Amino acid sequence: MAFETHYSLRSLIGAGKNRSAHKKVFSFDLFDTLLIRRIHDPDLVKLPVARYISRLAARARISVGWQSVQRQRDQIEAAHRARTGQQFDDHEACYPRFMGELLEQLFGDSYSPGLLGEVTDFELKMENSMLVPRLELVEWLETLWTAGKEIYIISDMYLPATHLEKLVEHAGLSGYVTAVVSSADTFLAKASGRAFSHVAKKFGIDPQSWVHIGDNPISDGLRAAEFGIESLIIRDPAEEQRRSIVKRYYNYSDGKPFWRGRLLQQLMAPHEKENSRRSPLYVEGYNFIGPLIGLFVQRVAELCLENDIKKIFFLSREGWTFKNYWEKAVPILYAGKKVPDIEYLYVSRMALAPAACAVQGLTKTNASIAFLPPGNRDFRDLCRIFGLEAEKFSGILAKHGIGEDTCLSHIHDGYDPQNRKRFETMLEDAEFQGEVKRQTRDSNLALQRYLEDIGFFHHDKVAVVDIGWLGSIQRFLFEAVSHREDIPQCFGYLFGATRGIPYPVEEKNRIAGVVYDRDRFDLAASTLFYARDIFEEACRAPHPTLNGYECDGDGYKLVFRKTDDEIGRAELEQDSYFAPLQQGIIDSAERFGAAAALLGYEFADYKPWINSVLVNKLAFPAAREVAQIRHQHHLDDFHGQKKPKADFAKGFTPLWDRSQLQLKFDPFIRARAFFRHLRERINE
Amino acid sequence: MKRVQNSRFDLTGNGIIRVMKLAAFGKIVPVGNLRGGPGIRCLVVVGLLHFFGYPIYYINARYGHRLGPVKRIVGRVRKR
Repeated sequence: MAFETHYSLRSLIGAGKNRSAHKKVFSFDLFDTLLIRRIHDPDLVKLPVARYISRLAARARISVGWQSVQRQRDQIEAAHRARTGQQFDDHEACYPRFMGELLEQLFGDSYSPGLLGEVTDFELKMENSMLVPRLELVEWLETLWTAGKEIYIISDMYLPATHLEKLVEHAGLSGYVTAVVSSADTFLAKASGRAFSHVAKKFGIDPQSWVHIGDNPISDGLRAAEFGIESLIIRDPAEEQRRSIVKRYYNYSDGKPFWRGRLLQQLMAPHEKENSRRSPLYVEGYNFIGPLIGLFVQRVAELCLENDIKKIFFLSREGWTFKNYWEKAVPILYAGKKVPDIEYLYVSRMALAPAACAVQGLTKTNASIAFLPPGNRDFRDLCRIFGLEAEKFSGILAKHGIGEDTCLSHIHDGYDPQNRKRFETMLEDAEFQGEVKRQTRDSNLALQRYLEDIGFFHHDKVAVVDIGWLGSIQRFLFEAVSHREDIPQCFGYLFGATRGIPYPVEEKNRIAGVVYDRDRFDLAASTLFYARDIFEEACRAPHPTLNGYECDGDGYKLVFRKTDDEIGRAELEQDSYFAPLQQGIIDSAERFGAAAALLGYEFADYKPWINSVLVNKLAFPAAREVAQIRHQHHLDDFHGQKKPKADFAKGFTPLWDRSQLQLKFDPFIRARAFFRHLRERINE
Repeated sequence: MKRVQNSRFDLTGNGIIRVMKLAAFGKIVPVGNLRGGPGIRCLVVVGLLHFFGYPIYYINARYGHRLGPVKRIVGRVRKR
């Protein structure tokens, strides 16, 4: 009996359906037939397992590199196969046996049977993360099962049937399968044809009533046919194309670091049922912002491990997305390693600004930060930001010759440098600072109670992670509690540090940009300047911003912004518009973790690709991308509502603020904007 | 509505053509540190696979066993 080869799933399933009326038993090969792998080479899944074992060994104070673990695994597996070959026609191996031997060899007296279970669970988790069921075959399988056919899965694999059943269950196929058979249990494989006779005997199957489907023309085709089974072989050119592409990216990434990030994204990509049609914003979240956040989170983890930091606080509302991403990606990425505990910290610039004044008063630098946004003009804006009552300063203001509405910002009409000097003189007035401290004391006390409550002061070192850009949240936070002796060493990690106002770096208070830092010249990453707001909006938590901290008896109260005013409603509208984008980001997290764990590269390896993505998407965006991703409402209470001088906003309009018409039909607009950006970065 | 990975197994929104354009632009104007960049040969091979991989592998699957002489010529060219 000959076997049939089909070049598309549709043709194969059609042929199978023709036989289903007079055949009772259908068996399927598992790998590359029912399930496809994201990676081209199945052996690559063994590498993260070797890294995992190496980390477990390090915990048991045994020093062994992952390459050495992998080498020993290969040697033991090969020895097992050779031994099996002496007794059987097939050179098979059984995972629990050779892995148990490897672990006993590596761990010696520290070995326990539970260790094999831990390693097996991780190996199956990695396998599951790289396997995807083929949609059309699964649908056919379901039809066959409903029609009352017996369905077997037969695999030549080192994992025994009990382990394969877990993979089958994860793929959602276990409800349609009579039995799973693995060569690892009997050492009778399809390669020699022995598996077919074994299955026929064990389950009492007549070969005449049996159809086998697989991808290997010898094991699944010829051997089945020799046993009298009708067999259908799939040779899918689309699958060969996909695997070939992954293989090229993998091979190129070895010599050209540029391709490492591209390979990562190829391994993260969804297939079959996962790859359904989605909103364009979801796609941007999955393919653009998600991987950037993933790599940021990976770098934060690397830095925390380097600096022996045991606790991470994710700050402000963007930290909510970073924390979610961490929870989904880091457990598999750093499996076997003790990573820092994480916590979300309810903070905002508006909430922390008053608390920062309670001990040191209102500093000249903090006043300058308040006047950075163009909507802030006078003392009233300052009072809004730092939670002060303007009326109580009327006497002091009069003493220094300024009023509540005297213009103090040079970009507004009516600005007089003398008034700014008078204001700065007032900052040195003890009476003024005394009133500032009096008014902000409660806010500071409530903040300290909140931080005590979440255990902020229980650690020697903490990482505070935020999106960016000036580091003012960390600045205010540190200033608010810097008088305490138990303040931990704060390592600030920002997605992008655009700085602007020098950060007061000291032993206990450091800050660094991860994807971009203005203190390091990085032209490609500096394209973040093009559209910082979209990252803020994309990562924003679904709860309203924090307005302040209030004392509540002996406790504290977090005061959130109301959402029933115009600004609150606009924010909700923006959140609902960006919901698919956020979904795309979160959905990419788990696959990012698995793909990054498989590749084992560090942040620096992916940086060239990140740079190219940032330049492509931010400096050279398609018009439709700008239309989709550009925020509709970007709101920040820190920014006032006052209008600066008419000529302030004149000059070059940023690329992301241009009209669709210009973006579509001006062929040089992106190049002009890029040259301008280049000049600005070189001159700063 | 779009798929995250398109039918050419490329990333929607940052496909190989876009990477090629940036690499070409980067030859004239500095665009940042790409650590050597993608390399022309790699770009060509990956581009061919994304765009023409299916017909190539279809022919290979269907008639690969008859392409012995062609494969020998390709092998000889590669050895040079």
